[in-house]
Amino acid sequence: MARAVTNKTKAINTAIAWTVGILIFFPILWTILTSFKSEATAIADPPVFLFFDWTLDNYTTVQERSNYFRHFMNSVVISIGSTVIGLAIAIPAAWAMAFVPGKQTKNVLMWMLSTKMLPPVGVLVPLYLLFRDWGLLDTRIGLVIVLTLINLPIIIWMLYTYFREIPNDILEAARMDGATLRSEVIYVLLPMAVPGIASTLLLNIILAWNEAFWTLNLTAANSAPLTAFIASYSSPEGLFYAKLSAASTMAIAPILIMGWFSQKQLVRGLTFGAVK
Amino acid sequence: MATQHSRAAARFMIAPSVVLLLAWMLIPLGMTIYFSFLRYNLLMPGANPFVGWENYSYFLTDPAFQTAIVNTLLLVGGVLVITIAGGIALAVLLDQPMWGTGIVRIMVISPFFVMPTVSALVWKNMFMNPVNGLFAYLADVIGVQPYDFLTQAPLASIIGIVSWQWLPFATLILLTAMQSLDSEQLEAAEMDGASAWSRFYHIKLPHLARAITVVVLIQTIFLLSIFAEILVTTNGGPGTASTNLTYLVYAESLLRFDVGTGSAGGVVAIILANIVAIFLMRMIGKNLDA
Repeated sequence: MARAVTNKTKAINTAIAWTVGILIFFPILWTILTSFKSEATAIADPPVFLFFDWTLDNYTTVQERSNYFRHFMNSVVISIGSTVIGLAIAIPAAWAMAFVPGKQTKNVLMWMLSTKMLPPVGVLVPLYLLFRDWGLLDTRIGLVIVLTLINLPIIIWMLYTYFREIPNDILEAARMDGATLRSEVIYVLLPMAVPGIASTLLLNIILAWNEAFWTLNLTAANSAPLTAFIASYSSPEGLFYAKLSAASTMAIAPILIMGWFSQKQLVRGLTFGAVK
Repeated sequence: MATQHSRAAARFMIAPSVVLLLAWMLIPLGMTIYFSFLRYNLLMPGANPFVGWENYSYFLTDPAFQTAIVNTLLLVGGVLVITIAGGIALAVLLDQPMWGTGIVRIMVISPFFVMPTVSALVWKNMFMNPVNGLFAYLADVIGVQPYDFLTQAPLASIIGIVSWQWLPFATLILLTAMQSLDSEQLEAAEMDGASAWSRFYHIKLPHLARAITVVVLIQTIFLLSIFAEILVTTNGGPGTASTNLTYLVYAESLLRFDVGTGSAGGVVAIILANIVAIFLMRMIGKNLDA
C-alpha cells in the first residue's frame, strides 16, 4: 500500500513551500519589477508592488548612457568563447581517459582537479603583470584565455563522468558488425555523448558568465563583461535604483533561464560526480 | 580492448589539456613564490632586491592580516552554518508531496544564477540601504530605527548576502542526495511506528552525511575566495571590518601596488586553501574507485 497523503497535509506543505520559495525568490522579483518603474516610484514610500505606470525608459537609458549592448556582447563572447575552446580541448582528453584508461588516469584526473583548488588570488599578481606586459589587460581574448583555463578541469571532469556511463558493449557490438572507427565515432559514440556535451556546455556558460574575480581585476572600460559593468553602479550618483534594476535584469535573465534547465547537471558538475 | 596503438593515441589526446593546465599552474605559481621574496613595488621602479622572508613577516604581523584571517573564517563559517542548516530544512520541505514542486524548486535555486555583483548591489541598495531600502521601510512599519546594515554590521551583512547566493547550491545537492534514499527503508520504519522526527534523524540525516561533507568542502573552496561581494558593497571597510584574505591580497597588490607583500599574501592564501583541498580530493578520489 502506497503511503496515503491526505489533501490536507499536501495543502499545508504547499503553503509552506510556496511561502519560503517566494521569500527566497523575492529579491530577484523585486529587481525585475523595479526595472519597470520610474526612479521616483522605485523609492516610493510605501513601496509599490504591481500597480504603477510600467515603463521601459530605464532600459533605453541604460543602453544610451553606457552602451550596455557592448558589455552584454563582451559577456556573450567571453563566456561562449571560453566554453567552446574549453570543450575542444577537453573532449579528446575526457574521451581518452574514459575509454582507454591507463594506470595513471586516476592520478591525472585528480591532479587536474587540484588546479581548480588554487585560489585565484594566489596567482593574481603574476597574471596581472603578465597581462600588462603582453598587452592582454582589458581585452576579450585575455579573459577568454583565463576563463578557459580556470574552467577546463570542471569541463574535463563533467565530460569524463558522462562518457564513463556509455557502455563499452555497444561499441564492441558495433565493431563486431564491421563498423569502421570513423563510423563508430559518428554513428554510435557521438549520439550517446551529445547530451553530456550539451549539459557541460550549458553549465560552463553559466559559470563563465557569472565569474567575478578575473573579470573585475583584468578588465576596464573596453572589454568589461556585465559582471564588471554592473560593479560600476557601486559608486552611484543621484537616483539609480530603477536603472540598476534594468541593467541587472538584462544581465541575469538569460542565465537564469539557462540555469533552470540545467538544475540536474549542476549537481553533477559542481560536485565532480561525488553526488548524483 | 586497449592496444599499444590506442594508448599512444590516448596520450596524444590528453596531452593538450595536461600541458595547458601544467603551464597554468606552474608559471604563475612559480612567479608568485619568486615575487614573495623580493622587495617589489610598482610605484618604485628600479632594482627588486631579494629580501628573504621580509614580506612574509611584514604581511603576517600586519594587524590587517589578523583581522582578515578572522573575517575569512567568520565569513566561511557563517555562510556554511546558514546554508547547511537552511539547505537541510529546504531539502526536507521540497521532498514532501505538494502542488507545484517544480515551480518552488525553480524559485529556490534561482539566486545561484545571479551574478555576484548584481546580488550584492541589489541587496546593498534596494534592501539594506538605511534610507530607501525595503528593510528600512519594514523597520518603519514596526516602529524601530532603521539599521545601517553595511556600516554597522558589514561582515554579518555580507554573510547574509553570500548565504542567499549559496543556499540554493546546498539545497539542490542535499535534495538530490535525499531523493536517492531508498523509500522502502522509510516505509518499513514508518510501519514499525517510527515518528517523523526519528525517521529524519536516524535514516535521512545519516544518509545525507556524505552529501553534507561534499557541500562543506566545495563551498569552502569557493567561499575562501569571496571577492566581488566585498568590492561592491564595503570595499573591505569600514577600516578593515569586512576585509577577508582575498580582498587584503587584492588591496596590497593592485591598490597599494606592493607586489612583494601581495605575493606573500597569495602564498598564504594558497596554503590555507590547500588544507581544505586535501580533504575534498580524498573524498572525490574514493568515489572515483567506486
